Amino acid sequence: MLAPAPSGAVIAQPLTLDGITHSYGAGLAVDNVTLEVKGGELVALLGPSGCGKTTLLRIVAGFIEQSNGKVIIGDRSIDTLPPNRREIGIVFQNYALFPHLTVAQNIAYGLAARGESREIQLERVREMLATVQMQAFAERKPRQLSGGQQQRVALARALAMRPRILLLDEPFAALDKNLRLDMQIEIKRLQRQFALTAIMVTHDQDEAMAIADRIAVMNSGRIEQLGTPVEVYDQPASLFVNSFIGSSNLLPATISGKVEGGYAVALANGAAWQVMSPARFAAGQSVIVSVRPEQMLLADEASPARFPVMLKLSLPIGGEMIHDVTAVDGASLKIAMPRRPGMVASTTASAFCGLGEHARPVLFPLSPS
Amino acid sequence: MQRSTFSDVTYAWAIGLLAGLGVLILIGPVLIVIATSFTTSQTLRFPPPELSLRWYRDLFDPVRSAQIHSAALNSVWVAGTATIIGAVMSVLAALAITRVARPSARILEASFLSPLILPTLSYGLAALMFFSVIGIRPSLNLLIAGHLVVIAPFIFRTTLASLTQLDPALLEASANLGASRFFGFRRITLPLIAPGIAAGCFLAFISSMDNVPVSLFLSNARTGMLPIRMWGMMESTLDVRIAAIAGVLILATLILMIVMDRLTGLTKRISG
Repeated sequence: MLAPAPSGAVIAQPLTLDGITHSYGAGLAVDNVTLEVKGGELVALLGPSGCGKTTLLRIVAGFIEQSNGKVIIGDRSIDTLPPNRREIGIVFQNYALFPHLTVAQNIAYGLAARGESREIQLERVREMLATVQMQAFAERKPRQLSGGQQQRVALARALAMRPRILLLDEPFAALDKNLRLDMQIEIKRLQRQFALTAIMVTHDQDEAMAIADRIAVMNSGRIEQLGTPVEVYDQPASLFVNSFIGSSNLLPATISGKVEGGYAVALANGAAWQVMSPARFAAGQSVIVSVRPEQMLLADEASPARFPVMLKLSLPIGGEMIHDVTAVDGASLKIAMPRRPGMVASTTASAFCGLGEHARPVLFPLSPS
Repeated sequence: MQRSTFSDVTYAWAIGLLAGLGVLILIGPVLIVIATSFTTSQTLRFPPPELSLRWYRDLFDPVRSAQIHSAALNSVWVAGTATIIGAVMSVLAALAITRVARPSARILEASFLSPLILPTLSYGLAALMFFSVIGIRPSLNLLIAGHLVVIAPFIFRTTLASLTQLDPALLEASANLGASRFFGFRRITLPLIAPGIAAGCFLAFISSMDNVPVSLFLSNARTGMLPIRMWGMMESTLDVRIAAIAGVLILATLILMIVMDRLTGLTKRISG
């Protein structure tokens, strides 16, 4: 490690959102959200624009006063504190670096505001510059820095205040794709090093999957599902979560009977599958079966668990071959299979489509009651 | 080598001619008045028969030009004071108006800007009548008040423009880092809007310096203002010192403008 961890025993504080509700005029922006972020945990608020994730972040920061509910750090409610007394660090979406101040002055700003001595400011600036590996840039102005460098400064500025909580607002949106991974690793490293409890707001599921310990998928002001990236991906709680996280094929089907741990389903396209599901369905009920593209396969031989498809297009994308196929009922599906080296687009026009070996299809009721 | 066609040549000529005409109209009078100010002759005649510094010597003579000096001092004092008061008022007003989203703020904004479009002559007359009705006699302070109304909108407008360009996230970042509102204003808002304020002050000062309509109505013999005095000299004696005053004013403005541009990028702000 390049910089020593902050001295003294640092214990990460849990952050609790207790029944937060907020409305703008007539619309509910945040609808009774309860979320417990454990000490040292990074939770991503993931959702489309307008789902209330940014409003929630601004409520935690103190920029918006919620209509109802409590924000608690440790065991203390912070709702009565103004933004400048909350001791929460924020990395703003476009970093919000002070354009007329140098990197060093930006980092020292909070300490100066707090009235710390010049020695302490210098010392902390030096430490933070080392932490984000920006020692050579202390006297630069923000506009002379690249996007990644600006983000490092924004992190250093926030961490210089030794915050208890770190909020990240779309931290990677303004970065080039190949820079993102570096910064994701960097943020994860700093979050561990400083024992920070963190909330990240993002609309990008890859970002959330990459660095969050848990993901809260939000939709119209509510948390639809809270879980680890793997849980959210493999066991989406709703059709919305299912479609928002990754891509999937949705196949209409009917429940034909119960089996151990799940159901036998008859797909509309003729195939019969057994799908594990903890949910409760009645025989004959119409359902949607969702399968991830990489959990399906194409085969030459027919079987009761496979249905015939017409191959429209095959694209070699990196290590995968993406097939675009049409089932007999006209449904369009995507199938991703590992590409053997040298394999090019398939020449056969028709094939049989089935589940891969470790496939975990998910059942959803057709019309949620 | 590319051959230029007939239309290229005519285009270049037409544009060149128009540009030349523009420059002539803009710069010509300035050059003529400056040239005239160096004349040896007793009259404001162009071209000057011979060049000398005679009229500048006359202009700076403390005895013979005492009235001009006092008028100039009055003008600078009124312009300076009105600009400083106007700056404080305008910055406060702009800060409040950018913070409030209510329709009342838009109405206030329009009314603060209205002196820019109000005919200044009407305002001068109205101010004179108003002040005599409430029984205030003409004085330098009254002139300052009168000029303030007319010039403050310049500062208000440029300050408002700088404030609306200010990223609100910067102040949120400031608060988030533990800074009080006042600390954030001093360290973030003020430095970032300072060029806008300075540009407005420059415009306001200049506009007060050569304001005729308000001064015409609100000044009297004891509170002579430079433009009024110049006009009086022009009417009565065709004194060549007027040209010398014009020369000094042009030079002063030029110096002020270069200094301001160095400090704040003024030209960008006025045209923006």
